[in-house]
Amino acid sequence: MQSPNMLTKFESKSSRAKGIAFHPKRPWILVSLHSSTIQLWDYRMGTLIDRFEEHDGPVRGIDFHKTQPLFVSGGDDYRIKVWSHQSRRCLFTLTGHLDYVRTVFFHHELPWIISSSDDQTIKIWNWQNRSLICTMTGHNHYAMCAQFHPKEDLVVSASLDQSVRVWDISGLRKKHSAPTTMTFEEQIARSNPNQADMFGNTDAVVKFVLEGHDRGVNWVAFHPTLPLIVSAGDDRLVKLWRMSETKAWEVDTCRGHFQNVSACSFHPHQDLILSVGEDKTIRVWDLNKRTAVQSFKRENDRFWVIAAHPEINLFAAGHDNGVMVFKLERERPASAVYQNQLFYITKEKHVRSYDFSKNIESPSMLSLKKIGSPWLPPRTLSYNPAERAILVTSSADGGSYELVALPRDATGAIEPTDTKRGTGNSAVFVARNRFAVFTKSNQQIDIKDLANSTTKTIKPPPGTTDIYFGGTGCLLMITATSVVLYDIQQKKQLAELQVNGVKYVVWSNDGLHAALLSKHNVTIVTKSLQQISTLHETIRIKSATWDDAGVLLYSTLNHVKYTLMNGDNGIVCTLDQTVYLQRVKGRNLYCLDRYAKPRILAIDPTEYRFKLALVKRNYDEMLNIIKTSSLVGQSIISYLQKKGYPEIALQFVQDPQTRFELALECGNLDVAVEMAKELDRPKLWTRLSLEALAHGNHPVVEMTYQKLRSFDKLSFLYLVTGDKDKLRRMAKIAEHRGDTSSRFQNSLYLGDVQNRVELLKELDLYPLAYLTAKSNGLSEECESILEATGMTEDQIKLPPMGEPTSIPKPIVPTFTSPWPAKVTSTSAFETALLGPGEEDVVATNSEDLEDEPVELEEGDDEDAAGWDMGEVDVDTSEDFINVESAEAGAGSSEADLWTRNSPVAADHAAGGSFETAMQLLNRQVGAVNFSPLEDRFMEIYQASRTLLPASVGLSPLVNYVRRTVNETDSRKLLPTIPRDLEHITTVDLVAGKTQMRTNKLEDGVRTFKGILHDVMLNAVGTQSEVSEAKQLIHTAAQYTLAMSIELQRRSLTGTSTDLSSFSDETKKRALELSAYFTVPEMEPNHVTLALFAAMNLAHKNKQLSSALSFANSVIEKGTNAKFKESARKIKAICERNPNDTLEIEFDQFAEFDVCAASYTPIYNGSPSVACPYDGSKYHQKYKGTVCKVCEVAQIGAPASGLRLTV
Amino acid sequence: MDPFSADGELTTLHTYFHQCLYPAVLSYDLSPLSDSNKLPATILQLRAHLALNQYSEALSVCASNKGKVDFDAVAICARYMQAKDRGDGSSVTKASEEASALATKEGDNATVQILCGTVLAGTENEDEALELLSRHQGSLDAVALIIQIHLQQNRLDLAKKEAQSARKWAQDNLLVNIAESWVAMREGGEQYQSAYYVFEELAQAPATQSVKSLLSQAISEMHLGRLEESEAALKQAAELEPENELVKANQLVLLTLAGKRDEAAKAKPELEKSGFAQDLAEKKKEFQAACERYQPKFAA
Repeated sequence: MQSPNMLTKFESKSSRAKGIAFHPKRPWILVSLHSSTIQLWDYRMGTLIDRFEEHDGPVRGIDFHKTQPLFVSGGDDYRIKVWSHQSRRCLFTLTGHLDYVRTVFFHHELPWIISSSDDQTIKIWNWQNRSLICTMTGHNHYAMCAQFHPKEDLVVSASLDQSVRVWDISGLRKKHSAPTTMTFEEQIARSNPNQADMFGNTDAVVKFVLEGHDRGVNWVAFHPTLPLIVSAGDDRLVKLWRMSETKAWEVDTCRGHFQNVSACSFHPHQDLILSVGEDKTIRVWDLNKRTAVQSFKRENDRFWVIAAHPEINLFAAGHDNGVMVFKLERERPASAVYQNQLFYITKEKHVRSYDFSKNIESPSMLSLKKIGSPWLPPRTLSYNPAERAILVTSSADGGSYELVALPRDATGAIEPTDTKRGTGNSAVFVARNRFAVFTKSNQQIDIKDLANSTTKTIKPPPGTTDIYFGGTGCLLMITATSVVLYDIQQKKQLAELQVNGVKYVVWSNDGLHAALLSKHNVTIVTKSLQQISTLHETIRIKSATWDDAGVLLYSTLNHVKYTLMNGDNGIVCTLDQTVYLQRVKGRNLYCLDRYAKPRILAIDPTEYRFKLALVKRNYDEMLNIIKTSSLVGQSIISYLQKKGYPEIALQFVQDPQTRFELALECGNLDVAVEMAKELDRPKLWTRLSLEALAHGNHPVVEMTYQKLRSFDKLSFLYLVTGDKDKLRRMAKIAEHRGDTSSRFQNSLYLGDVQNRVELLKELDLYPLAYLTAKSNGLSEECESILEATGMTEDQIKLPPMGEPTSIPKPIVPTFTSPWPAKVTSTSAFETALLGPGEEDVVATNSEDLEDEPVELEEGDDEDAAGWDMGEVDVDTSEDFINVESAEAGAGSSEADLWTRNSPVAADHAAGGSFETAMQLLNRQVGAVNFSPLEDRFMEIYQASRTLLPASVGLSPLVNYVRRTVNETDSRKLLPTIPRDLEHITTVDLVAGKTQMRTNKLEDGVRTFKGILHDVMLNAVGTQSEVSEAKQLIHTAAQYTLAMSIELQRRSLTGTSTDLSSFSDETKKRALELSAYFTVPEMEPNHVTLALFAAMNLAHKNKQLSSALSFANSVIEKGTNAKFKESARKIKAICERNPNDTLEIEFDQFAEFDVCAASYTPIYNGSPSVACPYDGSKYHQKYKGTVCKVCEVAQIGAPASGLRLTV
Repeated sequence: MDPFSADGELTTLHTYFHQCLYPAVLSYDLSPLSDSNKLPATILQLRAHLALNQYSEALSVCASNKGKVDFDAVAICARYMQAKDRGDGSSVTKASEEASALATKEGDNATVQILCGTVLAGTENEDEALELLSRHQGSLDAVALIIQIHLQQNRLDLAKKEAQSARKWAQDNLLVNIAESWVAMREGGEQYQSAYYVFEELAQAPATQSVKSLLSQAISEMHLGRLEESEAALKQAAELEPENELVKANQLVLLTLAGKRDEAAKAKPELEKSGFAQDLAEKKKEFQAACERYQPKFAA
């Protein structure tokens, strides 16, 4: 019997593992191997931390020290080694055993080590002074195992001599403990060592010898609290012993292993015994009944050792190929949250509740002791508030569920009386009185009612592993690679999302979002299973809960973290033990720990609230947070910077360097200058100068250049800003510095020729000086140079020279102030930060924040004004409130609500308010003739009411059918309208076009007029549907017109194409009508039909010119190959003599509409009126009459346009 | 206390009645019942007769028990229903007056409350009916009537309150479930679904299937927009009672909803006299009257 709840947490592959030790605090495990290696694993991360290889041959015994960074090992090299795992080396070796060392253990408080060896002795060592302090002899075969008692001065040992011995070592303790109070007898005893036995062994005496195994005993262990001993032997038995002060006796035997039992152990907290054996099994026994509880079998590996973690529910077993770390049971307490209440099952299997609003834990309400097997905690709990019932699942017996009603008041752990049960792996409530049960083995979901009878059966997608509530009437089905949303009612799959290994589903409080938790991933989805974000965690994710603001808090093994919808996440706090989050309220995080006790963690939600406010641009909230909490930290700053809010980050930073960086990033020069001054580093000045230059802020640039002593740049800056004084000063400075090239440059900038000549002369560059003087017309200077150099003017050859250039003067004194740069608008945030005194500024500056909503409102009002002509009282509020507050009397029916809630004519018709519906239509589309709409009105009216039979003798209850099925707000209720837009386009429009194709024109006209009437009284949801409807109206009107023209022609001449028997006038009219038939907009193949008919008629009646033009059109636009073929033939014929015998009023080249009443052309530019509903055109004289196409609207009437949406 | 409450002897009978299994009510053997329960059981059987429109049977039983308040109340109700079926206005008024008189005299009698309450509510004396019914002492039938009257008056809020308080003391009684579902059908949203569950449970269990439950299921499905499913349920109902007017009326609604104009047109005339048809006819007149306000001009 493979147990389903042995939960393997870690497995390693190695050679045979002989010894195992858990670190008491860290997630570490030491494994000693048959191959002489000792491994140190982190079983949580699954990584090998270290290896220790100094033993020679197999290492069998290993133990961590409880408090010191030490561990001890013993091996087949007869040695015991003590190691430091901090310095990662062997500290010293204890020698003395004469054969293999089997086990080594530290004492829980004294600096002692106990070892057992094949040399038949058990030795106790002091690891502080590294000495052997006691040798216990007595076993006459290998000593296989020896352990200290966890509290008393006892030792228990097991040997292949088939005995278990209990030793009293109180003497040893006395001898080695500090000489505090020593009784007289003790002093005697100490002074008389001679009274010891011949080996000097008074320190340890055999207290009991336990005989009962009839083969060698491999392992023995004390119970942590009770006077019990468990031993395991080659006789395949696990024996339980009890001892008193004076004697010890065998209690019972656990039979079941069919090979040597290698090791055994008591469960540290529960009444269980664990044993492992060479039969490749781990077995768990009930301590009180000594019956097998469960067992786990490995395919190929014999087990050699088992160890229990001293504190948490974790075990490790060593086998032929490595080590496995496992749990015996799930520690996740079954729980469910409903509004302010948490329901959970304690370790004693009691159902309790916890009230979040009062922080009160209820007494136990129910005992579920009898549910499932005694050693299996219930797996899940689902709560039904309507029935106050819970649904508990347990993995016992291949999965079972139990439906239990909770008592009204918690009065103690009573046994439930009326429970319903069944088999299944998962069970969840899906509605008030329905729950779903999933059975994995046959892949089936049963929907059951509260009486536990199946009402429906669903086949989930293959490979389904679990089910969760999926919103009302829906289920989420989890497979290994995906999640499927399934509607139970409609029995269909609504959505599917590929997510691997989802284990838990957590719904947000408003039911709009859900978090799918996998081992290492959190995926946030909407209620329709659209993925919003996903994140990965390296540490295992345990649980999650939603904040009311839409932030998901989740717990890993050691952290509580948060994630926003956009995937931004961070740490909320660290955990010292694993908890399962249930609810977050303010600063309290409610969770259940592994002992199923409710705990409240105080958390600081500032960070995620701040981020949320940032994402939502809720600056007030941010401001509030900044003011009320100390939100400073590198993470928030870098977060803000990364997210593009340097100006906000700036508010948090104290560090000048960071402030400088942020100030540059957001262009806040003032702050940057301030910080640069504080730091005063050339690099920063350089960067600041670049930034300031880009801003055009030259005073800052000037200052930075001064700081940097960039004289050349400074000079140039003064030049371009026109600051002559400063430029002159620069010239002086240059002179002072003796920088000639700079002096020259400055004199050039200043246009100071004299100075330049002087400079050149100083440098003995007389030719250049002369040239400069000469070209600027300084003749005196020229002469003095000539004089100085002793040359005459004739000796110098000069190139031809022009006029000396004059230096342009600055027109604008730019230097006085910087160019007016675009004012960097202080962010709403900054202005808000400035304080309440500046609130006006906030109001005006933060346009996009505060003005917008105002505008929106205005927009709404305008809209309302727009359909004010609807005049229909939209004053919902007054009457409405009345209804709610009135004590008695009748209320207004839903039909009345509809008319109040909607400006759509169809909704009024449905509400039975025909008068207002007509008024609406009259104003919207100029409707005046309503009799064609009678059926439509009645249809809408009668489709919106159902008659529900109720009490005998009373009339049935009228209920109102809504199109807003999910709405309960009475101000948003709207009636259903039969024959919606989709119905019309997919049924009627198609039918109408078919009638066109099949030449059933009378039916076609009726169909298209019907469409016009149906659309006029209709309602749609979206703007795109509105435009679709408009298009539909146009199409229907065009087809109606086209068909009516053709019908008119047929009424004149019938279907014959030969018109020779008719009068010229009739003939002319028939030909015209056939030509007009081609004008309205129709589908290309329908236009082709019209063109083809017109071509044939014209051709037959010798209207060759017209026929030619139709033939051309057919060839050009036609969609039918056959028609094109005949068109080409006709074209060929007509081209020979393109003349009409009869002049008709049809200009193939002119653009015109056809009047829908007279069927005559209305040429572009000539006066016309249109139907306000369908847009059909008419000659002026028809104004004021009813449109021939829709038969409802008045031609040329003022109209605001049909309204189809609310 | 209500003799029909969950632990009473009459639970089964009461449940039958509200599951509309009237034949089962009538064939229920009353002899093993305790004496105190015989009268309520008999009245329940009489009400079953009324539900089946077997007025004369009910009236003959009442006649032989003339003078006993309970039977008088049944008789008044029987006469009222008979008159209403025949369209006999004066008899209806008379029954209403009788009911009112009996209510003032014997208003604490549960049978009087329910039956006279029905008559009063049916003759537009809703406030009087409510006043009478509010004197009930733990009678679910009375609560159900109160809820229905509130709903007829479009007082969803009051109906809801009544249902909630009934749920508190009557827990999962069938009638409470049904009455709650009536409320739910007005409330809509997710409540439609809950109502559907209740109706479907009744309608789909072969033991409790009846025209009324099937019809209720179909109607809830209509409101949920599941027209095809609704059609199936209506069909089942029509097979059970092809001449049931309510079934026909709701079938017409469904056909219209589904946009099946031709079939709806065919179904309409079959509805001649029913209240629904009358309402439609009235609306038609109203429409024509409203048309009068416009004078369309037609081009020659």
